[in-house]
Amino acid sequence: MNLLTHTLDSLWQVVLVGLFLGAGLPSLFALGVRSLHAGRSSSESALQPLGVAGAVVCFAVVAIAVLCGILLLTADFLSGTFGIHVF
Amino acid sequence: MTAEFVVLLVVVVTALAFDFTNGFHDTGNAMATSIATGALKPKAAVALSAVLNLIGAFLSVEVAATVAKGVVDLGTVGGEDLLLIVFAGLVGGILWNIATWLFGLPSSSSHALFGGLVGAALASIGVNGVVWDGVLGKVLLPALLAPVIAALVATVGTWSMRRLTRDISEERRDRGFRLGQIGTASLLSLAHGTNDAQKTMGVIFLALVAHGSITADTEMPFWVKFACAVAIALGTYLGGWRIIRTLGKGLVEIAPTQGLAAESSSAAIILTSSHFGLPLSTTHVATGSILGTGLGTKGAEVRWGVAGRMVVAWLITLPSAALVGALCWALAHMIGGLGGVLFVFTLLCGLSLFMWLRSRKEPVDASNVTAEWDGSLVPAATTPEPVVQEGRP
Repeated sequence: MNLLTHTLDSLWQVVLVGLFLGAGLPSLFALGVRSLHAGRSSSESALQPLGVAGAVVCFAVVAIAVLCGILLLTADFLSGTFGIHVF
Repeated sequence: MTAEFVVLLVVVVTALAFDFTNGFHDTGNAMATSIATGALKPKAAVALSAVLNLIGAFLSVEVAATVAKGVVDLGTVGGEDLLLIVFAGLVGGILWNIATWLFGLPSSSSHALFGGLVGAALASIGVNGVVWDGVLGKVLLPALLAPVIAALVATVGTWSMRRLTRDISEERRDRGFRLGQIGTASLLSLAHGTNDAQKTMGVIFLALVAHGSITADTEMPFWVKFACAVAIALGTYLGGWRIIRTLGKGLVEIAPTQGLAAESSSAAIILTSSHFGLPLSTTHVATGSILGTGLGTKGAEVRWGVAGRMVVAWLITLPSAALVGALCWALAHMIGGLGGVLFVFTLLCGLSLFMWLRSRKEPVDASNVTAEWDGSLVPAATTPEPVVQEGRP
């Protein structure tokens, strides 16, 4: 019983975070790709400054999230070897 | 050279062999979709994954001499008895890994190792050697939940990504998503190296302690880290092409949108799930994610037959590996001492060689891994000579 409640408790958190990061970030990336090409009918037409700015913001957020992922992976190594505590 | 030392040597070599199978069994988890969409050439993909696994393995921190903690309780035995249990468990894991690879089935390497150890512990210590709560909570429940969670996340991700990019040209969209795929696949490979190599490090460390070469307080010897890192990287570079093909071509048709959605879902769940106390297997998550992209794409075909075969493989992974582990322990125990261990080791080598030779009859490699799925693992139109890669679509 204890196991079941513990698992259910972990479950909704994993689903929530999974949806937020696992579906949210690629959607943001998709938004960035769309923003970059918005208003361009052919490959010759110039990039729109506003679109580029929007794309940069989207890609930056995704990049920061990926960086956090790498830090999360290496957190134990960093704290054990260099005494750096990132989280 | 004493008999005890030779036994230790055999156990260490077997542990590294397991690490190697762990590598090629899981290449597909990170790289199958990137290979399927052409974001990376097959050889480039496995090379990148191997390098990141190598780096990841060095970044891992394994401080305790534990193996399958919370699943088996090996605290009551020590010395050569413990070495024998670990050895039989490893053999069970390796044989199951190679057999599932032969059939192109992605199955969890950790579950195979757990299974082998559970079997060996049952045969030697009895029911008290197994932590049944742990088997339920750490192996069975996660195996049921992982694919469902991953499929849900990937379905939502695919649907939303397709909606957001429906009015830009396919070519621009695919180029952007292919780049994203390389990034997420790299992150997954790094995570694999950090998580999986340290399992073998723990096994070798435990064996060294059981032999008495070091004490449990000793720091992890560098050569153990180095050997484990190299073994998993070499395994990854070999590329489990049969499994990559099932994951990348067999389950659903994967375009760059689906590929990025699947890998993002896998990466997010694998990196965060253990922090919430629900350790999910990389293989189950990756498979669920790929399946989910098919569900999130309108009109896409999900090959439920292939998915069903995988689920069956997952369900029987633990009992099958346990059976092999128990049999190996009984064999080695009956013959006894060094002779028993060497006999089982010879058996392991023979069976592995047999399965490898079997796979060469119908090879799947970098040249035909992305061929159209015609209902079978091995593409029908295989030519005897490997096709030059430039012709690949």
